[in-house]
Amino acid sequence: MKKTNGTGWLFASPYLLYAIIFFAVPLIWSMYLSFTDWNLISPVYYFKGFDNFIEAVKHPGVQAAFFVTFKFMAAFVPMVIVSSLAVALVIHGLPKFKGLFLIGFFLPYLASGVVSSLIVKGLLSHNSAFNVFLRNFGIEIDWLSTPLSALLVVAAIIAWKFTGYYALILTAGFESINKDVYEAAAIDGVTPSQRFWKITLPLLYPALFTVLILSIGVSFGIFTEVYQLTGGGPNYATNTWQMEIFKQAFTNLSAGYASAVAIIASVVTFASILIIRKLLEMWGKRNGWV
Amino acid sequence: MKMKKAASLFLTATIAASALAGCSTGNGGGKSANGETTIEFWAAPNPTQQVYWKEMAKEFEKENPKINVKVSPMKESPTSEASIQSAIAGKSAPTMSENINRGFAAQLAESKALVPLNEIEGWDKLLENRNMTDTIKTWKFSDDNQYVMPIYSNPMLFGWRIDILKEVGVDKMPATYSEVLDAAKKLKAKYPEKYVWAKPALADPTAHHRWFDFFMLYDAASGGNNFIEGKKFVAEDEAGINALQFMDDLRKEDGILTKQSTDPFENGLGIFTDLGPWTFSYWEEKFPEMKYNENFGLSLPPVPDDAKQENINTFADTKGIVIYASATEDERKAAMEFMNFVYSNPEYDLKWLETTKLPPARDDLSTNESFKAFFDKNPELKPYAEAVPNAIPSIDNAKYNELQTHIGRYAVNPIVKGEVDPEKGWNEMKKAIKEELKK
Repeated sequence: MKKTNGTGWLFASPYLLYAIIFFAVPLIWSMYLSFTDWNLISPVYYFKGFDNFIEAVKHPGVQAAFFVTFKFMAAFVPMVIVSSLAVALVIHGLPKFKGLFLIGFFLPYLASGVVSSLIVKGLLSHNSAFNVFLRNFGIEIDWLSTPLSALLVVAAIIAWKFTGYYALILTAGFESINKDVYEAAAIDGVTPSQRFWKITLPLLYPALFTVLILSIGVSFGIFTEVYQLTGGGPNYATNTWQMEIFKQAFTNLSAGYASAVAIIASVVTFASILIIRKLLEMWGKRNGWV
Repeated sequence: MKMKKAASLFLTATIAASALAGCSTGNGGGKSANGETTIEFWAAPNPTQQVYWKEMAKEFEKENPKINVKVSPMKESPTSEASIQSAIAGKSAPTMSENINRGFAAQLAESKALVPLNEIEGWDKLLENRNMTDTIKTWKFSDDNQYVMPIYSNPMLFGWRIDILKEVGVDKMPATYSEVLDAAKKLKAKYPEKYVWAKPALADPTAHHRWFDFFMLYDAASGGNNFIEGKKFVAEDEAGINALQFMDDLRKEDGILTKQSTDPFENGLGIFTDLGPWTFSYWEEKFPEMKYNENFGLSLPPVPDDAKQENINTFADTKGIVIYASATEDERKAAMEFMNFVYSNPEYDLKWLETTKLPPARDDLSTNESFKAFFDKNPELKPYAEAVPNAIPSIDNAKYNELQTHIGRYAVNPIVKGEVDPEKGWNEMKKAIKEELKK
């Protein structure tokens, strides 16, 4: 038994080492820094107790990051679930070339966030063909400078990026549903609505649960698109946790303070995902899906 | 069993050592046993400047065989500033680097990461040989030291679409606030869909944007009065409010567009914009139809109607060389010798100008014969050369990011959106800046 353990540890050691060097050590270091006023450069820094944390919770950027994350979640999660479900349904219904179409939808996931953001920036600019066309109908939208539209634009880009990836998971979920169940239901005369709510959704629930949790997790890590498109504005309307941490650490050189914000962000993220996960499990159990 | 345990430990240690070795970049500088000193120079992360510095290093080494200059590009992960911070924190900073603005230098100096250049022998000779005793005055930091050797100074100018101005009946580029507002009225009367100033950054609080709108106007309106000195807010209220009032008046004339737009000046959507000399190389490639004095002209920032009309000040987008505190005495000396070599010969500044089109920070740029042929060939760069002595570099406070963000958040951004009146915006900005300076 001991021999088996030793070999196991040996094989696991490269990853463990990687995790220690790149996750555990930085995490402990970050926790330590969050109590100091270190600015990344100075050899001298002082212990500040909980001052960084107190300052952070009072800061409008941090307060905005907290609420903006949930606003993003409210926009992004339904967007990506509906779009990936639609794609998965279409692909599931295809007689041939399912793999090929799935790859096609998966490609945006591999696209650079910088590139897609710049394309969208050009597309939504005041003098773009799209906006000139809209102005012909008297529609004038300041896409990236209006809080709601800026938030929706960023959510839409990320939804576009993740749709193919989640559709892949959901397609696998659809494919795993035994056709016999539908045939039996058809013999029993179930309506399309009953078929969806009583058969498809319960049997798809494990895949849907995975996608929901993954998409909620994504809402806490948005950075590139916001950095490229809005810089966190207008007036903090798209200021995410990552954006705030980046600004404090690398623009304002407040590594200690940024570490405190990062710790707060981690706690909020962990607690939120845990609560939402529990609620989803309860929802599944209440309906007898798990 | 013990052997196996030892082997596992050895393997783990080897992997750890390899992984950690991979993280290190090393300083690469120092003095070898044969008396040679090697200095590491980080060049700006663009190929043009790297080529220039590699050539300079080669020339220098020919005359100074005891000093080796290793030129390598500065990394941008995620920004060049961040890579310098990481290098300092990781104790792998180079001997010297270029591409440092005054604000970032203030952050580094406050953390004792830079050497005061005025304390190294050869500094005064360098200033004299390069003819930059006037230009360097505005670079003095609040502790009376000089931490940066400015390489170039881009006095920021405003570009005007003179072709569109002519079409609307304005024959000369507006020089005062009233003249700009008058041009705005004429523009809107003929082309209601066009704007005077089409610039999304006016509504963006990001600190660096303020160099290219607020500070250009403030420096001109205040006659180059400082904004912050050390930890003291010393800005001239009247000049600041005038500059903000000008923005507000222009907004009221529907002359400002802050929506995202693609190349608004080049496409004629806007007829007024801040222009740096770097724009022209980009235009040569992408907008060859943009011709100096045909469809665009260059002017100093507009000033209040009662302000003086000559020697107008403007913001200087300028960067320079610093020597890091981690450098040894020998390395510091060698670095100063290298700078003296490069800047004692105007031909090398000319080479810099030809390669980068960025005006060397010298007092005699528009009068020295060495540069005459260049400016005759590139007349659009001449106004920049003439404005070098009146250009004001950025504030030297380590918190310049936070401070300039307040200018945007409390004054410029809400004013261009019509959300606050200029005086109130100025006072709120002033309050926020003073509180920040107290921290």
